[in-house]
Amino acid sequence: MSSRPVDATRRPARPSSLKRNLWITGAAALLLWAALNVGVDVTDLTTLPSGLYAVFYEMYLKSGPDLGYLDKAVPAMIESLQMAWVGTIIGAVLSLPLGFLGAKNVSSGLVSSVMRQILNAIRAFPELILAVAIFIPIAGLGPVAGTLAIGLHSAGTLGKLTAEAIEGIDEGPMEAARAAGARGMQIQRWGVLPQVLPEMLGFWLYRFEINIRAGAVLGVVGAGGIGFLLDQTLKFHRYPQAGTVILVVIVATIIVDTISGRVRRRIIEGSDSTQVPEVDLQAVSTTAD
Amino acid sequence: MTTAVPASRRPTKPRRSPLIYVGIAAFIIITLISVSERWGIGLDIGGIIADLGRGEGILRQMLNPNWEFLPRVIEFSSQPPFVTGPLVETFQMAVVAAFIGCAIALPISFLSSRTTVPNRATLAVSRGILSVVRAIPDILYALIFVAALGIGPLPGILALIFFNIGVVAKLLSETVDAVDTGPIEAVDAGGSSRTQMVRWAVLPQVLPNYVAFSLYAFELNVRASTVLGIVGAGGIGFLLRTQYAFRAWSNVSVIIICLFVVVFLIELVSIRLRRRLV
Repeated sequence: MSSRPVDATRRPARPSSLKRNLWITGAAALLLWAALNVGVDVTDLTTLPSGLYAVFYEMYLKSGPDLGYLDKAVPAMIESLQMAWVGTIIGAVLSLPLGFLGAKNVSSGLVSSVMRQILNAIRAFPELILAVAIFIPIAGLGPVAGTLAIGLHSAGTLGKLTAEAIEGIDEGPMEAARAAGARGMQIQRWGVLPQVLPEMLGFWLYRFEINIRAGAVLGVVGAGGIGFLLDQTLKFHRYPQAGTVILVVIVATIIVDTISGRVRRRIIEGSDSTQVPEVDLQAVSTTAD
Repeated sequence: MTTAVPASRRPTKPRRSPLIYVGIAAFIIITLISVSERWGIGLDIGGIIADLGRGEGILRQMLNPNWEFLPRVIEFSSQPPFVTGPLVETFQMAVVAAFIGCAIALPISFLSSRTTVPNRATLAVSRGILSVVRAIPDILYALIFVAALGIGPLPGILALIFFNIGVVAKLLSETVDAVDTGPIEAVDAGGSSRTQMVRWAVLPQVLPNYVAFSLYAFELNVRASTVLGIVGAGGIGFLLRTQYAFRAWSNVSVIIICLFVVVFLIELVSIRLRRRLV
């Protein structure tokens, strides 16, 4: 284990980049394979600008968007928002027990790994698929099916986040609660819940923002909300109406995003903190879906 | 300035901000309106439980998947390209869109971070554009591109590209906001231009996160592209829609099982890779 004297004037050798280059080559090969076989004619792209312009022209320039259609579009968007709201609540309520059962430190090893797999399975299906495969058959066409689909998918994502948040807690308060004679649920209620609640409120609001987008499109399969109008107006080339619907979706989404973002920041920072840490969205969203 | 507190007295509860009560009241009112029959979606839990039986026949067919349908979803052959079918198309769309979308997202995220753009007006404009890009759901992009280009995988890929830009640019610009400013000062002192600063002081710091976010976006892509076909934008969604329209539940179930397997496998690989990166 003797160390050789190093010539300080010599530039150190570059670390090997072989491994990195292999990864890059692999990724490039994957891209090439996909691009060549996906069946897209690149020359079709030349019609894209004119095609998009034609759609945009028909929607907004020819006669302007059909503002009279707001009478239909606004109530439909409100329905979408309500689906997102109720769906998020359903997801949040379900995710609490699922999250506690999925956390290794408060539940048993076997239960938590089984629960994690169940949560993974739920998360694998997008809301649209859940609506088509499960909830439209049960609840029929309409907003209830969409709401339940949002709720189940959210339960999967929020349950996973809750479990991870619980695994990251300080064990001290749990011990303190136990020392004071708390048992079972009491330990969870007083030793665990207060620690994870602010973080989870943040997750719920973040999920609500994602669910608005889901609520806006579920109507495409008849599961309620403004998606139905989007699908119908575009399919039947009623462009001025479609233009109005699109505007309503974008404006409503941005407004709700902004409000929710403010509330979330306030919850995470607390009302009296002057310091403004960036909301740790990164950690949230890389695991949120 | 401290007064002696008798240790036996219970400390008084800190007063709650009245905002909390306003928040709770708003929450209850919005929820009640939303579930009501008249102004909302009309959610009736009792009714749903009573209706659970209605789905029974369908679910029974779903639990009995028709495996003879599998070749319509994915088919293997000994000749190139070895695997074909709408499931493969979905995967290919996701790959192409992830590469292009993530490549476009890289400069956009530098343009929307205050670390790299000190000019507030420029920052406001690029962040504004980004929030519009993010406000449009993936299916809406698909609907617009299908209207412009006709049905096929191309509008689906374009829709996914925008979706990717939204996800990656948002996450990465937040990472850029939080980089260590030491290297930036160092290259500034060395007389670098703004592009050189980004290249040598910022990019090396965020590169592992960038790759991780791209993998994450790719995972989301696979899930998103499965539904794009429902509006005619290529991939397996179209098959799903037709089988759904025919009420061919045992075929629908084959499609869903295949989707599940693909999503699950990709997530498995992607999470492994991401863990090694960050």
